[in-house]
Amino acid sequence: MSTVAQPLPRVGPFEWALSIDHKRVAARTAALALVFFLASGFLALLMRSELAQPGLQFVSTDTYDQLFTIHGSGMIYLVVTPLALALGLYFVPLQVGAADVAAPRLASLGFWLYAGGGFTMYAGFMTSGGAGKAGWTAFYPLSGEQASPGTGMDMWIIGVALAVSGMALVAATIMLTLLRHRAPQMSITRMPPFCWATFFTCAMTVTSFPVLVVAMGLLFADRHLGPVFDTPGGPATYQHLFWFYGHPVVYVMFFPFLGVVAEVAATFSRRRLFGYPALIISLFAFTGLSMTVWAHHMFATGQVNNQYYSLTSTSLAIPAGVEYFDVIATMIGGAILLRAPMLFALGFLSLFLIGGLTGIIVGSPPLDYHVHDTYFVVAHFHYTLFGGSMMGAFAAAYYWFPKATGAMLREWLGRVQFVLLFVGVNLTFFPMFLLGYDGMQRRVADYSPNAGLTTNNALATAGAFVIAAGVLAFVVNLVVSLRRRVPAGHDPWAGQTLEWATTSPPPRLNFASLPPIRSYAPLLDLREREERAP
Amino acid sequence: MALPAESTASDFRGLFTLYMAIAIAVAVLVLAAIAYAAIRYRDREDMSPRQVRGLKQLEGVWVALVTATVVVLLVSTFRTEDRVDAVAGDPQYSVRVVAFQWGWRFSYPGSGVTVTGNTQRPPMLAVPSGVPVRFEITSRDVIHSFWVPALRFKRDAFPDRVSEFDLTVEPGVSTTGRCAEFCGLGHDGMEFELVSMERGDFDRWLKGRERRARSASGGPE
Repeated sequence: MSTVAQPLPRVGPFEWALSIDHKRVAARTAALALVFFLASGFLALLMRSELAQPGLQFVSTDTYDQLFTIHGSGMIYLVVTPLALALGLYFVPLQVGAADVAAPRLASLGFWLYAGGGFTMYAGFMTSGGAGKAGWTAFYPLSGEQASPGTGMDMWIIGVALAVSGMALVAATIMLTLLRHRAPQMSITRMPPFCWATFFTCAMTVTSFPVLVVAMGLLFADRHLGPVFDTPGGPATYQHLFWFYGHPVVYVMFFPFLGVVAEVAATFSRRRLFGYPALIISLFAFTGLSMTVWAHHMFATGQVNNQYYSLTSTSLAIPAGVEYFDVIATMIGGAILLRAPMLFALGFLSLFLIGGLTGIIVGSPPLDYHVHDTYFVVAHFHYTLFGGSMMGAFAAAYYWFPKATGAMLREWLGRVQFVLLFVGVNLTFFPMFLLGYDGMQRRVADYSPNAGLTTNNALATAGAFVIAAGVLAFVVNLVVSLRRRVPAGHDPWAGQTLEWATTSPPPRLNFASLPPIRSYAPLLDLREREERAP
Repeated sequence: MALPAESTASDFRGLFTLYMAIAIAVAVLVLAAIAYAAIRYRDREDMSPRQVRGLKQLEGVWVALVTATVVVLLVSTFRTEDRVDAVAGDPQYSVRVVAFQWGWRFSYPGSGVTVTGNTQRPPMLAVPSGVPVRFEITSRDVIHSFWVPALRFKRDAFPDRVSEFDLTVEPGVSTTGRCAEFCGLGHDGMEFELVSMERGDFDRWLKGRERRARSASGGPE
């Protein structure tokens, strides 16, 4: 195996921007997602500042409506989904021993559609009527021409359609890579957990994302050509189309990070993942169920079979329970190194747990009748998306940054960031459970000073600034670690999967040669064989 | 046929308590397992630790436990929902609700009484206590949602249809209801005051409003 250390190749910005190497397309996607993360996070700080106390202090209601629309849309369409798929685009070919992604030009086109969509959506702020302001869900008729006239809403629709199309293309190329470009010895039962998680992610993406593109097309047609949804049953039909995308996407934003966390837990416990077959089967079951739960967002409409969707949604607890068991059982009896990737993995497990358990609560129609469309739900999905997905994304960042750049991230800044985010997430989002339960609906710029909501809102705002400090620590870490490089070598963590068998960063075609592949942890096999040898 | 609810809020309370108790128990158990693993097995010298025995069997037990819990939760949910969603065959009292940008109109069929209000002047919704009250709800423009936090209940108002539901309100309730579905600029101020009265008091209130409505519109019909 040839793993001679290489100097980081000097790349001009133009070459970097136009390259179709899957690693550079993925790095571009992740970098742009980070930009949109900072922008959409900044919008959240404006919102929390406005909500710190009752009354309107900083922004008008009209501006506030744009802020929460673009904050939510940005985070889901332009940050977490692209981050989740960028990880797959970068590491799936490496983990299955492929030289490149299948259809690299298509993946690159996916990036450009995403970039175009993101800037189109944000550019809505520069129109006279402002950006889209119908929420990230854009329910009809609120998103129709009559209730939401103006170019900003159109730009939102086009932006969403472009970004979502782009991500569907990226997912298709990753899926094809997994199916057709694995190294000869890499049978599907030897695919690492992250590859499996990404495979199911891509399956959900290619099935559900096109539906939203169609819904956006129909919405645009309704606004400019003639009534589409303006019929009896039309408004509910829009919601069905939207949530047929909108619920699978929740797991698109969860699975890849679960895969990362499973691998980080195994690597930093210095042992093989526990229960590989059970984990893969549970991911499969989860994926199947995930396509059948969408209308649990519509319990309060009175127009769906609540009990069916409650049954499928609550059943998700079973595969989720298997996933938790396998990751924790991997740690038990291991030799755990609490380095930054592992800290974020533990953060993911404990915070997503709260999001998952409250998800069971909102999956019960009589309980959802109360908490639906309130801050209880806002708290629930921020525990899954920030406490879960973003913690997982940071675990991935600390774990794989050395592979992608050849340099380590600073461990102490990672620890500072972890503490700030862990405290900040709980301080921001836990009070929101109480706010929603106590009667605060979502998407409001103001609330009554006499409704008993003031203290929890002040706490949530304080927490948001703690989160901001944590994110700042990450940005500082990126800059410092790229400028004053601490060389990582090709395998700083005693990794178990093939990406650690090549140089950091990997060469253009990824591998000079491959080690033998006999399981989902080929490098661990090698080490164990060396230990056993006299 | 489900039993009539004591009140909509009390149905919620029972189910929510069960869900919360289980959620807290699971959270404590799983967080303890994570903390135990991370602390007990931290920084050991052993570079190739062995598998702990018996975890495979434990996984089977765990999956069975989770499945049983899911069944218990679903059965309780379905039972409660049957009561909450039940609509009486022949309701004694009913209210028609029309939501609009940005306010509410409540009318009482058969009486000619209509109460309308907007974000500046939230309307009052009077209901009799202790009996199921039929609500027929629709919207004049975009989707709204009729939410009374104290009753632990909401239902969306769609412009293309009328939805029906029954609520049973406890005596002596005086509380704020609001729109829960984002509906544009005036969403945050789209409130109403819900007041429950003893049936006799409610009948007198309705009669009084009816008389005033008739005299305001110029004499008897």
